Amino acid sequence: MVKQLNKHKVPYLFIAPAVILLTLFSIIPIIIALVISFTDMDLVGLADYSNISGIGFSNYIDIFKDPIFLKSMYNTLIYVVIGVPMVVIASIAVALLLNYGTGWLFKSFRVIYYMPSITNIVAVAVVWGYLYNGSYGLFNYVLSWFGLPAQQWLQDPVLAKFSLILLAFWKSIGLNMIIFLAALQGIPRSYYEAAEIDGATGWKKLRYITVPLLGFATFFVTITTLIGWIQFFEEPLVMTKGGPLNATMSMALFIYNNGFQLSKFGYAASGSFVLFIIIIIATLIQFAVKKKEVEY
Amino acid sequence: MKKKTGVKIAALLMSFSLVAAGCGNSNNSAAGDSKTLKVWFMGTADTVEPIAEMYEAANPGITVDVQAIPWDTAHDKLLTAVASKNGPDVVQMGTTWVPEFAAAGALKDLTPYIEQYPSMKAENFFEGAVETTKYEDQTVGIPFYVETRAMFYRTDLLSEVGYPEGPKTWDELKDASRKLVEKGGAGHYALPIEGKDSIYPVIFAWQNGSDIIDANRQPQFNQPAYVETVDFLKSFYDEGLSPKGTDLDTVAAFKDGKMAMFISGPWMIQTVKDKAPEIDGKWAVTTLPAKVTNTSSIGGADLSIFNYSKNPDEAAKFIAFMAEQEAQLKYYETSNSMPALKAAWSNEALSDPMIAAFGKQLENSRPAPTVKEYEEIAQAAMAAFEQITIGGADTQTELDKLNDKANELLGNK
Repeated sequence: MVKQLNKHKVPYLFIAPAVILLTLFSIIPIIIALVISFTDMDLVGLADYSNISGIGFSNYIDIFKDPIFLKSMYNTLIYVVIGVPMVVIASIAVALLLNYGTGWLFKSFRVIYYMPSITNIVAVAVVWGYLYNGSYGLFNYVLSWFGLPAQQWLQDPVLAKFSLILLAFWKSIGLNMIIFLAALQGIPRSYYEAAEIDGATGWKKLRYITVPLLGFATFFVTITTLIGWIQFFEEPLVMTKGGPLNATMSMALFIYNNGFQLSKFGYAASGSFVLFIIIIIATLIQFAVKKKEVEY
Repeated sequence: MKKKTGVKIAALLMSFSLVAAGCGNSNNSAAGDSKTLKVWFMGTADTVEPIAEMYEAANPGITVDVQAIPWDTAHDKLLTAVASKNGPDVVQMGTTWVPEFAAAGALKDLTPYIEQYPSMKAENFFEGAVETTKYEDQTVGIPFYVETRAMFYRTDLLSEVGYPEGPKTWDELKDASRKLVEKGGAGHYALPIEGKDSIYPVIFAWQNGSDIIDANRQPQFNQPAYVETVDFLKSFYDEGLSPKGTDLDTVAAFKDGKMAMFISGPWMIQTVKDKAPEIDGKWAVTTLPAKVTNTSSIGGADLSIFNYSKNPDEAAKFIAFMAEQEAQLKYYETSNSMPALKAAWSNEALSDPMIAAFGKQLENSRPAPTVKEYEEIAQAAMAAFEQITIGGADTQTELDKLNDKANELLGNK
C-alpha cells in the first residue's frame, strides 16, 4: 500500500487539492447531514449538543406524511417536466440562430441572451415583480391591448407556477446557449461540405450532422439543467416565498424554510437527503439512456 | 528526483500551515483584545455609527465595532453564530426572535446588570416592550426601539364618506369601507388585509377579546372570538373591499385614492412622504378602530448580550448607554425608529402628530406570544388564513385543524 502510494506520489499530489476541498466542503457535510437527519436537532440542540437525541427514521416517516412536502415534490416535478425540455430546446434554437452569422448584430445578441444569467437574482426579482404586478404590471397592460382580463400572475395558485417557470426559463437560457454555441463551432466544416456535395438540404444537415454531433453538449446541458431544476430555489424564494397556498413551494425551499426559518435541522436534513437521492436517481437514469446511444 | 519532491511537499505543507497560522492569529487577537466591543445591528450601519461614536467619545480606550446585518439574512447569521459559539458581544434581537434564541441559551440573563444600571430598569420602558425581553423567569434583553401598527388614512376621502377622523370601531370601518368602494367604483378598495403578515389577523383577534396562546400554552384558534375575527376579515375579501393579491403597491394605491386606508408601522410615514408628496396634508395617522379594545401589536428590537461574549460587563455598560435618553433620541433622529424609553417621548422631536398617534397606540399594544414555538405556529396560522380567504376552506373546520396543529407543536397532549 505504502509502496503503491509512493509510486504514484506525483499524481496523488496533483489531485490532492481537489480531493481535500471536495472532502472538506462536500463529502464531510453530506455525511454530517446524513447523521443529523436521524436526530431531532433544533436550535437548542445546536447550542448544546447534549440536547440532541437520535430518533431513528421518524423524520423520514414524518416528512412523507407532511402535506407541504408532498406538495413540494409534486411542484418540483412540474417544474422539471416543463422547465427542462423548454430550456434545452430553446437554448439549442437560440444557439443555432446565433451561429448563422458573425456580424455585430449576432455578437450583441449573444450578450443580450447571456445577460439574464449574470444578473443578480434579487434585481431580477424586483423587475419581474413589477412586470407581474396585478395592477401596474406590463404583462397585464399588454393583455389589456387585446381586451383580455388582467391576470393575477403571482397570486393565482396555478398561474404562479408557470410565472416562475417563465422567469427561470428566461434566466437559464444564456449559459446553456453558450455551451451549445461552443459545441456548434467545434463541428468541422468538412462534414457539411461533404453532405452538400451529396445534395443534402439545410434540414437534413441539421438532422443528420448537427444534432448528432451536439450529442455530448446536449447530454451535459440536460444533466446540469435537470439537477438545477430539481433544486429549484431562488425564484420561489424571492418572488413568492412558496405561496400562494404552497403552490410554488419547491423541495429546496421547503428544506430551507424548515432548516433556517424554523430551525428544525433534523427534519430539514432528512428532506435534503430525499432530494439528494432523487437527484442521484435522475442522473443515473440519464447516464443509462446515454449509454444506449451511438458514440461519434 | 526523490529529494526534490520531498522538498516540494515540505514547501507546500509549510505554505498551508502559514495560511492556517495566519487565520489563527487574527482570531486570537479579536478575542483577546478586551477593548473592542463587537456589536451586531440589523439594518444599515449609518444609523448606529453616530451613537457608537458618542459612546467611544465618552469611554476612551473602547472601540465599538459595529457590524450591520440586513434584516432578511440576520436570522441565518444568528443561527451560524449560535452553532459556532462565536459571535458578537452585543446583539440586536428582533423581538419575535427572543424566545427562540433565549430557549437555545444564546442570550445572557441581564438581571444582575439591571440592578447595577438604573437606565435598564423595566419601568422606564413601554410595558409591551418589556414583555418581549422576558423568557421564562429571565430578562434576556433591554428594549431598544419599538414599533406598532396604526391606521393610515386619506383625510379627504374619508371625510367624503362621513369619517373625517377615521373609523373608530369595527362597524365604522366596515361602513366606511363599503362607502369608499361604492363611491370609487371598479379598481377601488378600502384597505388591504395583509394575510402574509402573521401579526395582522392577530391584532384583530386581540381587539375581539381573543387570545392566541393563553398562559397555560393552550392555543385559542378554534374559539368563537378568533373564528369571528377571521370571518370578519374574510368578509373584506368577499365584499371586494380588499384586494386579493398582495402585489397592489400600497403607497401608489394610497396616492391614487384607490385605497384610502391601510394599517402599517411608523416606517411608512417617511415612505409615504417621499413617494407621494402630491397628497401631503391629505392624509393622517390614527389609532386602530376598536371592537372590545383597540389593541395593536408591539414589536421592534431589544439589545441582548450574546451568551458566548468574552466581555459581558463591557457589553452591559454599552447597553445601559443605549437605553439612555440621549442615545434613544439620537437613534430616532438617524433611523426614525421610535424610542422604547417612555421619557424620550416628552421630547419635542416626537411631537409630530403622526408620530404622536403611534405613541398613543403604543399605550394599547401587546407583543406576539412569547413561546419559542410561535414562529412555526405563526406560519401555520398564516397558511390557514390563506386557505380560508383564498382557498375557500370552511372557517371553523380549517381553524379546528390549525388548533390541533398548534397543540401538536406546543407538545400538548
